[in-house]
Amino acid sequence: MDSAPAKRRKLDHGQDGVEAVLESAASTGISRSRAFVLEAEELLDSVRLDYDTALPGADELLHRIKGAVEGINAHDPLPVAEAASKLEKKHKIKVPFPNPKPQENSNYKVAFAKPAQFNVVGSYVSKTLVKTQKSHAVDMVIVLPEEILQEKDYLDLRYFYKRAYYLAVVASALRKDLAGDAQLSYEYLSGNHLCPVLAIQPTGSKDKDSEKSENKGALDYRIRIIPCAPDGFFPKAKLHLGATLVRKSCDGEPTASSEPTPFYNSTVIAESCFLPYLKVLRQAEKKCAAFRNACILGRIWLQQRGFGGDIAQGGFGHFEWAVLLALLLQGGESKALSPSLSATQLFKALIQFLSVTNFAEKPCVFGPGKSDLEAHLDSGPILYDATRQLNIAFKMGPWSAALLHQHAKWTRRVLADSAADQFSPTFILKTDVPSHSFDLVARLNHNGVGKEAGSDFRGQTWQLGSQVYRILKRAFVDEEMGERARLIHIQTPECTSWALTDAPKTRAKSTLEIGILFDPVNMSRTVDRGPSAGPSAEEKEECEDFRKFWGDKAELRRFERDTIRETLIWTSTTPFDLCEEIMRYILGLHLRIGQLHDEITVYGNGLPALLSLKPADTTLFNVAKKAFGTFERDIRDLEELPLRVRQIAPICPELRHASVKPPVFGSTKSGPRPLECIVSFEASGKWPESLVAIQRTKIAFLLMIGSLLERSKPGEIKTHVGLEDAKFETENLAFLDVVYESGPIPSGSIAISRKLSLNYISTSLSPTIRLVKHWFNAHKLSYHFTDEFIELIVLNIFLSPYPWDAPSSASTGFARTLLFLAHWDWRSEPLIVDTGGDMPAADRTAIATRLEAWRKIDPNMNHTVLFVATAQEPSGIAWTTSAGQAQPSKVVAARMTSLAKSASRLIREAGVELDCRRLFVPALKDYDVVIHLNSKAVKSTLKTYANIEPEDELESAGRPKFKNLDERTGLEPLPLVRYPTDLFLEHLCATYAGPLVFFRGGAEDNTIGAIWNPQMQRRAFKVNLPTSYKPAATAGQKRAKGDDDDEEQELVEVNREAILSEIARIGADLVDKIEMKGA
Amino acid sequence: MPSGPSTIGDFSVLPVSVPPLPSFPKNAVHYLYVRRNAPKIPTATDARSLFLTNVPVDSTEAHLRALFTSLVGAGRFESAAFEDERKDAHSQSQSPIDAAQPAHAARLLQAHGKKRKREDEEAERAREEAAARLPSTWTRPLRKSGGTAVVLLADEKSVEQVLKAIGKANKTKKYPIWGGDSLPQGKVPPLGSVWLKAHNRLSYPDKQALQASVDAFSALFARREQEAAEIAKRLRNEPDEDGFVTVTRGGRAAPASRNEAEEAKRKMLEKQDKKKEELTNFYRFQLRERKKEEQAELLKRFDDDRKKLEAMLVKRGKFVPEA
Repeated sequence: MDSAPAKRRKLDHGQDGVEAVLESAASTGISRSRAFVLEAEELLDSVRLDYDTALPGADELLHRIKGAVEGINAHDPLPVAEAASKLEKKHKIKVPFPNPKPQENSNYKVAFAKPAQFNVVGSYVSKTLVKTQKSHAVDMVIVLPEEILQEKDYLDLRYFYKRAYYLAVVASALRKDLAGDAQLSYEYLSGNHLCPVLAIQPTGSKDKDSEKSENKGALDYRIRIIPCAPDGFFPKAKLHLGATLVRKSCDGEPTASSEPTPFYNSTVIAESCFLPYLKVLRQAEKKCAAFRNACILGRIWLQQRGFGGDIAQGGFGHFEWAVLLALLLQGGESKALSPSLSATQLFKALIQFLSVTNFAEKPCVFGPGKSDLEAHLDSGPILYDATRQLNIAFKMGPWSAALLHQHAKWTRRVLADSAADQFSPTFILKTDVPSHSFDLVARLNHNGVGKEAGSDFRGQTWQLGSQVYRILKRAFVDEEMGERARLIHIQTPECTSWALTDAPKTRAKSTLEIGILFDPVNMSRTVDRGPSAGPSAEEKEECEDFRKFWGDKAELRRFERDTIRETLIWTSTTPFDLCEEIMRYILGLHLRIGQLHDEITVYGNGLPALLSLKPADTTLFNVAKKAFGTFERDIRDLEELPLRVRQIAPICPELRHASVKPPVFGSTKSGPRPLECIVSFEASGKWPESLVAIQRTKIAFLLMIGSLLERSKPGEIKTHVGLEDAKFETENLAFLDVVYESGPIPSGSIAISRKLSLNYISTSLSPTIRLVKHWFNAHKLSYHFTDEFIELIVLNIFLSPYPWDAPSSASTGFARTLLFLAHWDWRSEPLIVDTGGDMPAADRTAIATRLEAWRKIDPNMNHTVLFVATAQEPSGIAWTTSAGQAQPSKVVAARMTSLAKSASRLIREAGVELDCRRLFVPALKDYDVVIHLNSKAVKSTLKTYANIEPEDELESAGRPKFKNLDERTGLEPLPLVRYPTDLFLEHLCATYAGPLVFFRGGAEDNTIGAIWNPQMQRRAFKVNLPTSYKPAATAGQKRAKGDDDDEEQELVEVNREAILSEIARIGADLVDKIEMKGA
Repeated sequence: MPSGPSTIGDFSVLPVSVPPLPSFPKNAVHYLYVRRNAPKIPTATDARSLFLTNVPVDSTEAHLRALFTSLVGAGRFESAAFEDERKDAHSQSQSPIDAAQPAHAARLLQAHGKKRKREDEEAERAREEAAARLPSTWTRPLRKSGGTAVVLLADEKSVEQVLKAIGKANKTKKYPIWGGDSLPQGKVPPLGSVWLKAHNRLSYPDKQALQASVDAFSALFARREQEAAEIAKRLRNEPDEDGFVTVTRGGRAAPASRNEAEEAKRKMLEKQDKKKEELTNFYRFQLRERKKEEQAELLKRFDDDRKKLEAMLVKRGKFVPEA
């Protein structure tokens, strides 16, 4: 082979930036993120295994196994069928032949001889196992002796038949030898159906489990016996990716097709590469002190992202990581990593490498060699080790390579953001939960689709998955039309182990999981513009191709500037529905699946459906915004104002697209609800000095603005000046409601106030905020939280979305917000929302210091609990305190955390099938007192009139109503200052702040929960008790007994019943029922 | 119902039975604690008034009148003053106008100790203040839970009688009823939805009335301000009895315009900045020192990180990847 082009290509590769990136990764890692390094070291310490206590007796067991295998008698070649049936008869052991099984009449011969070599390989010898692995395995390879193999065995699975038989013989011997001490079963190596291995689970370790006190560190482990081929036995040149090595079909007849069998070929090569790779890794360990730790970090990183060596787990596990790292350390010419790097630097370097190398799109080659690999990319990603001529990524699908690439990119972004917590997203958080990662998850149940086993040996499901992937990729990731999806992932089912006496289980029905990550903007496109239908041959061909792929859906349409294009018109409206529609259509068209309805099930839309979030909501929000615009113009147009208007700022969630329900105007059920905004005027020296006088002057000002407005647009505008429920003269006293005839009413008040501006950063931000607010409502928390606080929490998820990218749908945004709330340790961590993205590090430190200071002054957290700071509001408490009191209090914040924790657990455990309604069920039984409001009475409070006494209205409600007689007809109801039930609750809270903590959701929540404050115990009597107390009952009893103790008599306890009856009296007709726990 | 003690401390316990409501169908007993009124600063009516604590939150004068009527018969109860109202009354002389008064003027007046209050003046003042007050937005306030009230009775004898009646009620367990039949219908504004609706309505007072109130306030405020200014002016040159001259605001020359002052300050700062800039890194020692500082800073950060990590370690569980 000509080596020159290879060399040149390699240089090209270097120019791609890999080299530069690696260098920069190596050099910048020092000192920038100290904390990350320290934390990683700590992590390594805490996951490292003590091999003696963790895997007790592994070494002895390995020796015993070696002895037992060596003791097996060799036998001469026998025809394969005969040998297998003999084994089955004698030992009741099935030979785990791969499919297609050898023919009954085939004349292949199998024999047994002592293995050429035993060797323990893998993480056990390199000591890179970690505690948190799902299962721990010690891998022992036994090299098949050359005398029982033939060079031609690489053809038509012959080697694999021999291997399987060999394994069965070993199994039979070991079962006899280890009887009682260990449990034996078959399993597939990395889910590869060609390579069954023997798993030996010591029963001893299980016993120890039951008596944990004795041996705490012991882990459940198993020893895997992996037969393999001798190194260099098969001619690798003939095993290249393009070779066709299986030339017989299932029934043993030679087939004419010469389809290449890349997976098979790579498996054969891999079979003979165990020991060479062991050598490579050993050398790397020797050369680079931090290699081992870098591998452990890599293992954890992969594990948290659901990656593993198994085909079902993406085919990229610890082994692949380690080999890749070793190859990078070896380097070819220039791009070697320095062996003096630390573990975290190596880790970062490899992440960098993975984030710039997409080996699903372009083969990545180590060492000199192959130039014709591009052609084989169809069969899967290529990560080619030229020295050993193996495609290391042969177990990966194109989707897992894409996912790996994406995760590496995301992680690189965290590692580059010095302000964020880099450690937790990288190593601690579990990021393979579909509901957190994908906007749409679909399950494909199929039976017998694509029945032919074909040239691929990864199973039918895998093959179907790869077809589905190819189709969906073409449908969703079309650069010309704009990529609808950022990521498409296929999850194939995992294989399990099976007993020696059985055949491997084959599932009749298997499920394929498809996960799709949206590009929210492109996914909401309802019209796809394909290639333009021009006269040139090229264009014609393109259109032909387009029509072939899209079938009848493709139609010609004329667009502006007289272009005629192939077009697709979709009927759905939301991104989710569009994705589902396209997916069902295209899969049905090409694979004939999805025709029956239960074949494809789609998950991920439960949450938005719950709140019936509609795209039309945006319009309603925009109406509100427009109304505000009109108001702003009207105010600015007033010429007679003595002061110039500087700014009119909206301060209500409706104008930030952030209220649970979109604003409704002109409802007949309630008085108009104002949209709040603040009008700031230019500074003037004419304001009086006294605050009280300023407030009064403001009233006069409001009256003036009101009359001016009314005069400017007579008949169209009606204004009301309202008084605030202020307790002190220095507070803001009044506001102005401006009612437009056509509906919405901005309500302005002149004040200096903090405000939150939500930049409209993502289409999914608004629905996410609304969902999260709905969750706070459902759990009756929202009374204690400001709207701004919740919005900031969600905004934070979008601004620092690590370890993912910003959520592209409300569902993922919601799930990740809950995850954040569950993990947020607000006792010691401030939440810093950097809305501008340019907060200097010094400011962040200052904020953190401020929180520390608060905790020192107020360790019981009476005044500050949650600490949320932004660049404009570095005090951190603007949205979480009111009048010097924490809002929410510690109790409520803790409840929020625990609710978020259980919700997150539910999301993870129930997976995509979760019935989302379960997340929103309030736990009423947690409350000591539940107050049910009368919805009818509540409704009646929504409307009041300027000239009707409320009491008269009540009386008239009983009369039969004739519209024309009703004096209310034609009257405009007054605007609603506050929701009356909010006011009611506010009074309850103010009155019973001591004994009760109230919980209530949003304005429509008609059930109030409350718990008794456990700190309000019985206490000594004094004047000015904090609430209603009664003389303690026990004191009375003691007195009756004649035990006259003065101190006892003075005790009083909370008079709960009297308090509840007071609440009943305050609420009167509003309260339907008050329930008391245990009564 | 277990019988409680009839006295607690120097208070008599007055149990009041609360009739069940449909929403809370339970017979609750509320306990009021009653004693003779003995405030720290005695007043003329102390002998014929009672001090109540733990009054129900929905108490009104009518409620208490009804309660005392059921105890000792009609005609004994004169009036009730609730905790929050009494406080108001106390601060009445201060608010709202005085609170609004220019602070220095108020101080001056106090320091000057000038008695300018006469009977008719005071009445006039009260009238003016009432006019300037904003209308209330609630038909009926809620009391503080566990709050107090002072009840004024007809004479000293009534006080005796009430206390006796309380003792009797305790013995016979025939407790008076809260808001019972003796509470005149329609006299007390109802709570519940009507109360809330009335609030919404009262929040939007008549514009003319509001304007009038604001005008009254402004007039009053302007007059007070002028008065204060006059006093200040007079005091400026007048030593008090100890021979001191009070320093007051508003002296010889008016302060220079704010803009000018700001401009001057800006210029000064600019000059300083420029000077600083010219001299940084001028000498080698400055460079050396800066480098040293940077290093120290790095070390400090390093140390901080270590400390933070240790703190986290104490909390534990942070370093194990989630399963």
